[in-house]
Amino acid sequence: MADEKEDPTFEEENEEIGGGAEGGQGKRKRLFSKELRCMMYGFGDDQNPYTESVDILEDLVIEFITEMTHKAMSIGRQGRVQVEDIVFLIRKDPRKFAQVKDLLTMNEELKRARKAFDEANYGS
Amino acid sequence: MDNACESPAEKVTETVESDETAAAPVAPRAADTDGIPEETDRDGDVKEAAAEENELKSQDISDPAATEREDSSLTPAAKKLKIDTKEKKEKKQKVDEDEIQKMQILVSSFSEEQLNRYEMYRRSAFPKAAVKRLIQSITGTSVSQNVVIAMSGISKVFVGEVVEEALDVCEKWGEMPPLQPKHMREAVRRLKSKGQIPNSKHKKIIFF
Repeated sequence: MADEKEDPTFEEENEEIGGGAEGGQGKRKRLFSKELRCMMYGFGDDQNPYTESVDILEDLVIEFITEMTHKAMSIGRQGRVQVEDIVFLIRKDPRKFAQVKDLLTMNEELKRARKAFDEANYGS
Repeated sequence: MDNACESPAEKVTETVESDETAAAPVAPRAADTDGIPEETDRDGDVKEAAAEENELKSQDISDPAATEREDSSLTPAAKKLKIDTKEKKEKKQKVDEDEIQKMQILVSSFSEEQLNRYEMYRRSAFPKAAVKRLIQSITGTSVSQNVVIAMSGISKVFVGEVVEEALDVCEKWGEMPPLQPKHMREAVRRLKSKGQIPNSKHKKIIFF
């Protein structure tokens, strides 16, 4: 029964998208709606996930990024966010740690490949 | 229910891969070593069996190599370290190659619906501009590109964890996808008790 009470109020919040300049949670413009839908389908949800679920996830992601950023600002070099700080914060979570390492390694490889490609073009 | 069952298995595959590449020195001591099973839906077992086999292979190869290095002028401790790191690298490369092969075999045997879902899983990502804007609005200073890349990657893994947990909850309550907000909230509550969700608003009192 508690769910039925909560859901209508949640829906009301989402109807007021973009209405008013207030920076409240429900009234902020949705940043990740499209991408989150694709992501939810990729991770196992239905092909058309519910809008309310997408909204909940977006709020969660924004809160997650905010928390990580605040934590990263408080360690290492104060007031700045650096990659080392993020890696340090993630060290206990094996999945995220491996993902960050893979992403950064691949980024380096791509940069090197692009640089080599450009130099080859420049030479010829 | 195919979809709900298939995708966690896929994610397990990805996780097992990353766990194994990250923990290659700590070989998984799987009890069931039936060689490489023929079926492709028990991905976790396939990977673990392959890892065991690789470990045995590299151990056989490293023994003659160890005897060769006895003639070098390193101290025994340094020699052992050198051999260990070389073994780990070889093991890691072999595990990578095998993993790539197995992934190729797996993906080639997907149905169309599974292919769609896998494509969405690989391709979906958070827009870098929006993430960069968000981080910069919090820090007040500019951030490097690597930070944005790392943060988007972690957020995607985070979404995956929540969605997987919500699918578990949904299945446990005997309901069908699409996921409803109540599943998501229960998933968040469970992850919070596991400590997966960072929360710095609650100040913990240690001693009183």
